[in-house]
Amino acid sequence: MNFSRMFHNLNYVVSVLLFLIGLYAVTVKPNLIKKLIGLNIMETSVFLFIVSIGMVESGQAPIVTEGVKTSQMVNPIPQALILTGIVVAVSTTAVALSLCLRLHERYGTLNSDEILASITDVSQLGRPWEEF
Amino acid sequence: MSWALGVAADHPVLLVAVPLLFAALCPIWAMWKRSACFPWAMAGMSVTAFLAWSLIGDVSPRRALTYNLSGWRPPWGIQIRIDYVGLLMVCIITAVGLLIVLYSWRYVEHDLKPERVPYYYTLLLLIMTAMIGFSVTGDLFNMFVMMEIFSITSYALVAISGMKEAVRAAFKYLLMGATSSLTVLLAIAFLYSATGSLNMLDISLQLKSTSYVQVAAVALILFVVGFSVKAALFPVHVWLPDAHSIAPSPVSALLSALVIKMGIIGLFRVFFTVYGPGFAARSGTWNGVIDVVSWLAVASILVGAALAIIQRDFKVMIAYSSIVHIGYILLGLTVLSGNGTVGGLFDILAHAMGKGCFFMVAGIMIYKGNRRQIHELRGVGRTMPVTAWAFTIAALSIVGIPPTAGFMAKFYILWGCIQRGKYHFVVLALIGSLLTAVYCFRVVYYMFFTGARRPDARLDEGPVTMYAPAALLAAGTVFFGIFANLLIPSLTAAARLVLAR
Amino acid sequence: MSRQTSSVLPVIIVFAPWLALAGAAAWGRSRPRLAKAFYVGSTVLALGLILPLYGRALDGVVTKQHLVEVVTGISISFRIDTLGFYFAILLSFLWLLATIFSLGYIHERETRYYCFLALNLSFCLGVAFSANMFTLFIFYELMSLCTYPLIIHDETEQARRAGLKYLVYSISAGAVILAGVVLQFFYGGTLEFTGHATLTMADASKSVLLVIFSIYMLGFGVKACIMPLHGWVPDAHPAAPAPASALLSGVILKIGAFGIIRVLFDVFGIRQLRVLGVSLPMLYVASFTIIVGSLFAITQTDLKRRLAYSSVAQVSYIILGLFLLAPDGAMGGLLQVANHAFMKATLFLCSGIIIHETGKRDVRQLEGTGSKLPLTMMAFSVAALGMMGVPATAGFITKWELGVGCVQAHRPYFIAVLLISSLLNAVYFLPIIYAAYFKEGSAGERLRPETKPTMLVPVLITGAFVLILGIFVTVPGLPYSLVKVIVSAVF
Repeated sequence: MNFSRMFHNLNYVVSVLLFLIGLYAVTVKPNLIKKLIGLNIMETSVFLFIVSIGMVESGQAPIVTEGVKTSQMVNPIPQALILTGIVVAVSTTAVALSLCLRLHERYGTLNSDEILASITDVSQLGRPWEEF
Repeated sequence: MSWALGVAADHPVLLVAVPLLFAALCPIWAMWKRSACFPWAMAGMSVTAFLAWSLIGDVSPRRALTYNLSGWRPPWGIQIRIDYVGLLMVCIITAVGLLIVLYSWRYVEHDLKPERVPYYYTLLLLIMTAMIGFSVTGDLFNMFVMMEIFSITSYALVAISGMKEAVRAAFKYLLMGATSSLTVLLAIAFLYSATGSLNMLDISLQLKSTSYVQVAAVALILFVVGFSVKAALFPVHVWLPDAHSIAPSPVSALLSALVIKMGIIGLFRVFFTVYGPGFAARSGTWNGVIDVVSWLAVASILVGAALAIIQRDFKVMIAYSSIVHIGYILLGLTVLSGNGTVGGLFDILAHAMGKGCFFMVAGIMIYKGNRRQIHELRGVGRTMPVTAWAFTIAALSIVGIPPTAGFMAKFYILWGCIQRGKYHFVVLALIGSLLTAVYCFRVVYYMFFTGARRPDARLDEGPVTMYAPAALLAAGTVFFGIFANLLIPSLTAAARLVLAR
Repeated sequence: MSRQTSSVLPVIIVFAPWLALAGAAAWGRSRPRLAKAFYVGSTVLALGLILPLYGRALDGVVTKQHLVEVVTGISISFRIDTLGFYFAILLSFLWLLATIFSLGYIHERETRYYCFLALNLSFCLGVAFSANMFTLFIFYELMSLCTYPLIIHDETEQARRAGLKYLVYSISAGAVILAGVVLQFFYGGTLEFTGHATLTMADASKSVLLVIFSIYMLGFGVKACIMPLHGWVPDAHPAAPAPASALLSGVILKIGAFGIIRVLFDVFGIRQLRVLGVSLPMLYVASFTIIVGSLFAITQTDLKRRLAYSSVAQVSYIILGLFLLAPDGAMGGLLQVANHAFMKATLFLCSGIIIHETGKRDVRQLEGTGSKLPLTMMAFSVAALGMMGVPATAGFITKWELGVGCVQAHRPYFIAVLLISSLLNAVYFLPIIYAAYFKEGSAGERLRPETKPTMLVPVLITGAFVLILGIFVTVPGLPYSLVKVIVSAVF
């Protein structure tokens, strides 16, 4: 295993790790708020990944810094994308939190297992071959 | 005059801007008068539909209409690119959308609290905006943004009734939807790091020479995972039956007829516009992914149909039926023969009409007498003949019986499978259509052939604004079944171009 | 022979029965008697429009009408040739009689019944007049679906089950035929009927042709009730009201045979089928169906069920005749279409009268029917004798031609099948006649009136036709003259 190369790409490794941690939380944690936190960790990991691909070693911000050579510029597009991405993520979280509020009102709990348990007859399945 | 010329030049962007404007002004309009929201939304959809349909002559399979936002040229700026498939989608969205808005009028009056109605119409216009934008954009990141807009609006629309079941379904939908959105975003990031571009056509050029083939291949897999959730492909369909059955019926119609098609359009763009069969020469991943998707599509057909058969709840059954048709559409698109692609694209139209009609009928049944179970539909054929017949005709299309649009789609999909020598898919798809017949005709049976004949049975149709859209959609399936030649030659040309890339 | 004309007439004929729907929509609820006039009138109109085409059909003139091109190379279009005319005139005539019979027989859910009866006529005419496999398939599917409401008309438990069975069979068959149509189009490049082979060895290998052929036989065989595929027939016939079963047996089973005839004459062609070597296997299947169907008929005690099994056996005469691939065999098979239609329509309509007037369905309880319902039983007996192939009845002509065909095709041993079948027919029909006239307790008062005239007259007409077709065989205008034109064009 080439560790030096792994450290060189530390940003990628970290973002993948974060993504997996988030995915774990979303799928496994029963608490809905924890699921949302997991979702946000996933979002952050993707943002981290995108920002880091635009990074240039000892780079400078374009346009605002006068007289930077193009080879020295940090790519501004990923940063612009992330700004949009953050807006999207915030609105998703907002909708999700408001749904959580409603769920708490209706079911009196935020535990997904308890919510599932409180649902009776989710599927009233039939026997169509006897019904025709 | 110069003003008119300016508008004409900006025509493509108006497709997105106009409904967005109407959506933004809708809550303000509601402050003046709440009941004015419906005509406002109707006006917005009508203008959008007019804008979309007036483009029909300008776009052909070989000629796309482009528009550079703020005048930035393609590799750098965001480009709107209306190609033939995009225009087809926009026309379907506006046509079905218009009918859904009309249908919503009486339904939401009955179903929603009055203070929620303005938000309902706002969300409806917003989701139309996002779907149109998604279909016509030529930029991957812009596509992601549009996808997020229609996803978030659809979470809200599912939950808008505030019932506890609805909120739960919406949250489930949100968790899966948001995760899949992130997967797509990650894929875009991978592709951007490999090619340094976000414009789809530019990326497809770069991919022909890039040295980061592995990165692009991983991105492809991530795209497919992400869009499969949006399209509700088996085995990531689990959110769909809950969300589609519990949402208000016009919303179910919207989600089933249009929103899940966005996942398919996403897959279509990724497979054919961004990567293209040319990528297969560079990486085996492309063919592998296509194979996996076509097997999953067949699994969707069979599993969806089997699950639909055992349902008692009318809307849950229709929801599972959507999974079946997602399977058919994707099977057509992934057999990689011209006719299969034509069949898949045609099935998008056929299913939008058929499934829209199904959910509208289900809504009328809930509106009149709160009938939710299939066995409660006893004798509806006598009291609501127009509604019941609309359902029956749409069912013929969903099953694929001539002369309906669904039949033409099935015919072309099977033809495509035979062309590629995939006879096992022909057999499995036909078995799927038999299962489809079972669950569709079971409903028809209850509507027409059960229930004691009562001499006092009177006509008891729902409001005309509800059954007329359903009947129109049903008529549309027959129209496009007989006059399929209006579309098929152009679709064939488009499919040939797509597969030659 | 291949003179062609173009005319909108086929379209008008096919959609003429829709007049009944207009009548039902306008007066179905408010003035049922006026609506009934429309139901009968629409059938008369269809028959009246078809009759004048007789001269052209005898001359072998083909009338074509292109309706709409669905996609490039596939269109919905109509074509009246002699074969199509033969089926159309036959089925619209029987339809008229059955509709008149229904006026007396059907008392419930009339609007639905007559509307679907008319729609069914329309789609059957569409099948008969279709110019290509695609059009045929469309009308065939619609016809299959519109038969369902007729079968479950009574909405009893028995009808419900029969209807489900019917749906499963016919929708599966539809899917199979669709696969055949797609394969034929993919390999042959055309679906048109031209009177000769359109899918040849030049288009595909022998094994592919055999696969397509088998798929078509499987698909159309369900309606033509070839033996392993006949399951729905004995359930559907007893469940349906008598005039509907008469049409099921008299016409709709024949529409399945019509599909097979089209596949034979216009898709593969007789000469090519000889090369493919499908003749003998199909003859064995048909013979099996004839004999086993008759044996099953003997074991049935329900009158209509017995008749249904008899239909299973008799329709296979058509298959047998056609697959002899000899001119006289084909003559026999095609004549059987009309002969069996009249015989079986008579039998089912008679059984309808018996059930309607006496309430008895069991063949062991029919004693005395002969004196109670003399005219009905007379028609029944004539038709039953026809089924046995007694000379001077229509059934004899079929058997004669089939026998000649067997010799012509150098397969004389299939004559044995015909003889055994006649014997078995006698075994299951003679006891009924015996019970009706001669069994103890058969002396009874004649019912006066015997039954409603709208029910009696159609039975007497079909019964008379069983004799007419057996005696005045070669009179121009009767099936023989038409069949001769069809066969001479093909061989």
